[in-house]
Amino acid sequence: MAIQSWRIRDRYYRLVGSRCASCGAEYFPPVYRCRECGSDKMKDKEMPKTGRIVTYTQLHEPLPGFEAQVPFYLALVELENGARVLTQVVDSPDEAVKTGAKVKATVRRAKVEGESGQIIYGYKFIVA
Amino acid sequence: MARSKAYVASVGFTKVGDHWEKSLLDLAVEAGSSALKGAPKAKPDVLIVGNMFSAVGASQEHLGAMVAGALGLTGIPAFKVEAACASGASAFNVACSLVKSGSVGSALVVGVEKMRDLEPEEASQALAMAESAEYTQFVGASFAALNGLLARYYMESEGVSRDELSSIPVIDHANGVTAEHAQFRKAITADVVSRSSMVADPLRLFDCAPVGDGAAAALILGDPKAGAGKKLVGVLGGAVSTNEFSVYERKDMLDFRATRDAFGSAMSQAGLSLPKLGALEVHDAFSVVGALSLEAMGLSKRGEGCRDAKAGKFDLRSDMPINTFGGLKARGHPVGATGVYQIAEAFLQLTDAAGKNQVDRPDYVATHNIGGVDTTAAVHVFGRAS
Amino acid sequence: MYLMQSKNRAAILGYGAYIPYYRLPTTEIARVWRGGGSGPNVEKAVASMDEDTVTMAIEAARQAVAMSGLDSLGAVFVGTESKPYAVKPTSTIVAQALGQHHTLAADLEFACKAGTEAIQVITGLVGSGMIQAGLAIGMDTAQGRPGDDLEYTAASGGAAYVIGNKGEGAIAVIDCSTSFVSDTGDFWRRAHEKYPRHLSRFTGEPAYFYHIENAVRTLFEETGHKPGDFTYAVFHQPNPRFPVEVATRLGFTMDQIKTGLLNPMIGNTYSGSSPIGLAAVLDEAKPGDKILLASFGSGAGSDAFCLDVKDGITKKRGKSPTVKSMLQRGTRIDYSTYSKFRDKLHK
Repeated sequence: MAIQSWRIRDRYYRLVGSRCASCGAEYFPPVYRCRECGSDKMKDKEMPKTGRIVTYTQLHEPLPGFEAQVPFYLALVELENGARVLTQVVDSPDEAVKTGAKVKATVRRAKVEGESGQIIYGYKFIVA
Repeated sequence: MARSKAYVASVGFTKVGDHWEKSLLDLAVEAGSSALKGAPKAKPDVLIVGNMFSAVGASQEHLGAMVAGALGLTGIPAFKVEAACASGASAFNVACSLVKSGSVGSALVVGVEKMRDLEPEEASQALAMAESAEYTQFVGASFAALNGLLARYYMESEGVSRDELSSIPVIDHANGVTAEHAQFRKAITADVVSRSSMVADPLRLFDCAPVGDGAAAALILGDPKAGAGKKLVGVLGGAVSTNEFSVYERKDMLDFRATRDAFGSAMSQAGLSLPKLGALEVHDAFSVVGALSLEAMGLSKRGEGCRDAKAGKFDLRSDMPINTFGGLKARGHPVGATGVYQIAEAFLQLTDAAGKNQVDRPDYVATHNIGGVDTTAAVHVFGRAS
Repeated sequence: MYLMQSKNRAAILGYGAYIPYYRLPTTEIARVWRGGGSGPNVEKAVASMDEDTVTMAIEAARQAVAMSGLDSLGAVFVGTESKPYAVKPTSTIVAQALGQHHTLAADLEFACKAGTEAIQVITGLVGSGMIQAGLAIGMDTAQGRPGDDLEYTAASGGAAYVIGNKGEGAIAVIDCSTSFVSDTGDFWRRAHEKYPRHLSRFTGEPAYFYHIENAVRTLFEETGHKPGDFTYAVFHQPNPRFPVEVATRLGFTMDQIKTGLLNPMIGNTYSGSSPIGLAAVLDEAKPGDKILLASFGSGAGSDAFCLDVKDGITKKRGKSPTVKSMLQRGTRIDYSTYSKFRDKLHK
């Protein structure tokens, strides 16, 4: 996990996704091939840090490593450039987490590898 | 000589549920032996095992040779096929292709999954491996969470109520009551679904397929004469299709394109139109997935899957019964085996061996198995062989 | 002769504060441990379970860098006593998140004074011409042992400052500073210990007051400034009483310190304490205002600064969220939620 995360830490910390050099479509997570025009000329690009909730859920049964957080919100966020990010939504009152809500990106602890392993950081969003 | 036909000569399966006393291999052998005993004259030329996470669930890989050896088939080629929850039907699809191509005369497919040895969170983690480690598991999104997101989107976009969403699990549980191999054999009401504990809002416990152990097997022949007079079921069409990997990467999350394409292709191979189908086994790992699949296959209009189910359109005694032995909710969902269970159930229906779950003399039955959220869809269409 | 002044004056070009969303009323702590009453402060800011010094530093730093308008930083210094790792720098994670790689990165530790130390060091690097601009962060997720007096005040938060050459974009010029230290063991945390210890009233007179008074009086003596020259003064805030008391002793009025006095609402954010206070002052200061900033760190020492507010403040105001807006956004939690967040429960 530590090495897998290290490799893409700029994606996790700065939302570096990809942009199609041919048609300009932007993606997060990054893609190898443009879904709009089929081009494989994709370049890294930092995404805008604000967007809106397309849909969301509150998860009650966690994956290992997320037990302490339940229940927590997961949302599909559409960024200003149209890219869609699956993300946790934190520090937001229940009534604010809803479809269409404006959100902004932050960086949080995403996963902690026990007492002695590494701390993996990554993007989460907050209702703005 | 290239063949173009494939037949299911026999099937075998274990009960789905908590097999504390049986290992992954015990289950695979039980189902595999039972299928082999059903057609004692036929000897498989190849074994294809369908399984999703034996590495995680049982610290075991190399299932092909292992299961072949345990079944007394040492010597034949044997492989595992993995396509998440669509592993079972994908394995079957590969086996049929080998048989139809003429490269083998017969094939044994064994779908198997051992889930109950895992703690609930470990099982969730194993299932989540169907989705991106880097961008889905990373944010703590379980497979249920993705389906929860999708369910809210579906309900808000199409105006589907909580009560309507509960209708497909109700059908499954009603059909499971008389299915001896089903994990749950108790009828439920929509209220039970709507009031069960929350898993991934709006999805509740009874919207989600249970965790269980199980194995199912099917013996496929290329030459009907090799069946030695037994009742055979013809594989009239089969297709596997894929969608954009993660549901949230798709332009229209409610369009189950893989299901639509695989179903269209399999039905056209069989030369069938919808009304000809006597029954359909639909992959409803989550109530929302069942509804969207029915819509993608054209059984319901967009947004109408749950309402049609509520209106009785898919009951066991209707014109288009679904999940005749309880589907993923009641028969259960031992993931890598599920697709093969569906095929075994289609076999029972078409050989009039479905007992109390027998639908009224169907001529054709389709099975629909998916991996991920419609990421891989494997559809097969079967008919009476004689 | 003790005054520190860079040959080329450096200036604050951007700043960003961070106060976590959750607030624990001290009546909650008193309810659990004393059966009633409250602590000296009304509430304290509590980091959520997925926050630490790294995440809060990134948040404040992003605001500071955005306000500065710069895209290159020659140094990233994080002053903290709550490093997530004993060995592995906090500053490199922050630098990575800012996209900064050709940069001097370091973590500083000096109990509650590490944030202003970072400001001192960056000022020197900029003033000497070694770097064009650098980032100084004071940030902590301070922890108090459950039931200990420190638990009422130990809080989370801090602020980040981009310091560069003074010029058009200058918010405030760092005119000069002093530092005064001695070996005084008023508060400490041994290696591998989770919670600090303190020698009760020893932290007052011989520690807090002695060091701040020395640093500030030296600044006055060597610059000729008087308390009346300053529009604002910000002191380290371990509780609501000490900064008021030290201000009075040094000749400052309540009017001069009230803007930067945040302890009653957020508690003691350790390395973040005086830096957040300064941010609150910059949120409302006008060009021409003079600001005194004096930190205190146990162990012990104080840094005192004289800052001159410049025109850049008018243009840049509103580019990062104000301390006031962060105070307003918070939500109250109970002691059990706080225990869950700050790992005081063990499953």
